[in-house]
Amino acid sequence: MNGLRVAGLTKSFGGVRAVDEASVTFRHGRINALIGPNGSGKTTFFNCVTGMVKPDAGTVTYHGRDITGRGAHKIAHAGIGRSFQLCRVFPRLTAVENLLAAVRPGSVLRALAPARLKADVDRALALLTRVGIEHLADVEARDLSYGQQKLLELAGVLMADPETILLDEPAGGVNPALIERIGVLVRELNAEGRTFLIVEHNMDLVMSLSDHVVVFDRGRPIAEGPPDAVRADPVVLAAYLGG
Amino acid sequence: MRSGSETFVKAAGLVGLAGLVVAFPGLASDPFVLSVGVVIISYAVLATAWNFVGGFTGYISLGHAAYSGLGGYATGLLILRADVNPWVALLLGGLVVAVLAVPVGIAALRVRGASFVIVSIALVLVLLLVFQSWESVTGGSDGLRVPRPFDADVLRPEQHQRFFHLHAVLLAVMLLCWWVIDRSRFGMGLKAIREDEDKARSLGVPTVRYKLAAFVVSAFFTALGGGLYALWFGFLDPIFQFSILVGSNMVLMSLLGGVRSLFGPLVGAVVVGYATEFFKAQYGDTQMHLVAMGVLLAVVVLFLPDGIIPAVRGLLARLRPGQASIREVTQEELAAEVRR
Repeated sequence: MNGLRVAGLTKSFGGVRAVDEASVTFRHGRINALIGPNGSGKTTFFNCVTGMVKPDAGTVTYHGRDITGRGAHKIAHAGIGRSFQLCRVFPRLTAVENLLAAVRPGSVLRALAPARLKADVDRALALLTRVGIEHLADVEARDLSYGQQKLLELAGVLMADPETILLDEPAGGVNPALIERIGVLVRELNAEGRTFLIVEHNMDLVMSLSDHVVVFDRGRPIAEGPPDAVRADPVVLAAYLGG
Repeated sequence: MRSGSETFVKAAGLVGLAGLVVAFPGLASDPFVLSVGVVIISYAVLATAWNFVGGFTGYISLGHAAYSGLGGYATGLLILRADVNPWVALLLGGLVVAVLAVPVGIAALRVRGASFVIVSIALVLVLLLVFQSWESVTGGSDGLRVPRPFDADVLRPEQHQRFFHLHAVLLAVMLLCWWVIDRSRFGMGLKAIREDEDKARSLGVPTVRYKLAAFVVSAFFTALGGGLYALWFGFLDPIFQFSILVGSNMVLMSLLGGVRSLFGPLVGAVVVGYATEFFKAQYGDTQMHLVAMGVLLAVVVLFLPDGIIPAVRGLLARLRPGQASIREVTQEELAAEVRR
């Protein structure tokens, strides 16, 4: 089975079931959106899938391989990359170093090779060019604007060359021009064969970008389908408006 | 970016520093000054060893005296109980501690931040009790006399001189290792861990393995530093060997000099070591020297929060002509961004 399949995924924090027996399949090659009211478990779902937290129950399989509860770096090696809500970069590393940190050494000996090998630096600069911040390559990430940090984070995720990319609120807190740019990038990357899974509250972006929308409420999917169908679904409206 | 003149200045500085270290014992006016020099370079060794884990990963271990103390005792006990050649004992001691650091690291590095600091202290306290109580092996609180590696006809000043240079060699090896790691992929991964560990994991950095490797390297060098000190000083007392004060000195020196800089811990050790001796001489037998040290550290933390080396480097960069600040550049970039 190609793609990311989640079955019966459960994660509780104290008495709260943040993710509650969630089962959903994301087919390969699509731009999937994950929407739902605040606190519906989207980010915890992301964290379980990417190994940042261990699920209490359920399975996550990627291309038919069970990756449930694996270490986050192993899931990254399997080809799943992610961004974080509110954007996370390495503040006191330069932009280009932020990308070089994602280079996989391959072996113990090659881990001691210089981080600034020309091939790696060239690839990093190409990615910074792609997201439009190549002129800031030698600036520390903490000196970048929030929007630039968002672009840097995306470039960092791409440096690890993941097949599947999970974005947690890529449009959160950025201006409309940048949202558009991020949308264009996502579409281009999808055309190159990368699958996306995007948590987003900006409905315009969700509706224009995604092929498939999954709606979360109280820790599990309550509806899914093409954007137009989901938008008209009474169950979804009830979840959002508190029916 | 990197100009020829900058490389030249760096090389000249390095040669000058090495020359100073080689010449210092000859320049020292009397054996006391020489012995202070050995103490300071010993601290430079320990602080630099600490910085393999503190500087790269940001895990602040207050308990590194555990590894210097174990290194010292391992060296002494191997000589006394197993009749091993002192230099072989020193190396074996380091290796033994490195092996011990694996399980300790696996357990301790599971927790971050303040919790890690507490865990690191716990080990020192446990070891202090063990080495004080296990009299038949460690000599207990009476201490352990470590035989000197040189013949009796080598006099005190000569001893100091040799140990000063032995410490300098160890320090040079460590600085070289730190430099290699600093510019390697491994080092970039460690720095990513320091900046944001979860983010590093999500990018594929095997954080557990990386942290452990840095930790073991650090423990190994710290143990060598402790062993070399034991051979020089000739006596080990558990209360001084397994002391939180020794561990916090390593931290303070590194922070003072700058944990992100190759020579930061060395600079910090020279400043703190010299200041300690200076204040001791000024205030004699009173505890005033501790107060004076406290004031000095407060001043540095207030005015040079990143340490001495970054502060000096920043000052030089500002004095250099044609160097605009990063801020100005980003302002322009921001304007361009808006126009786009």
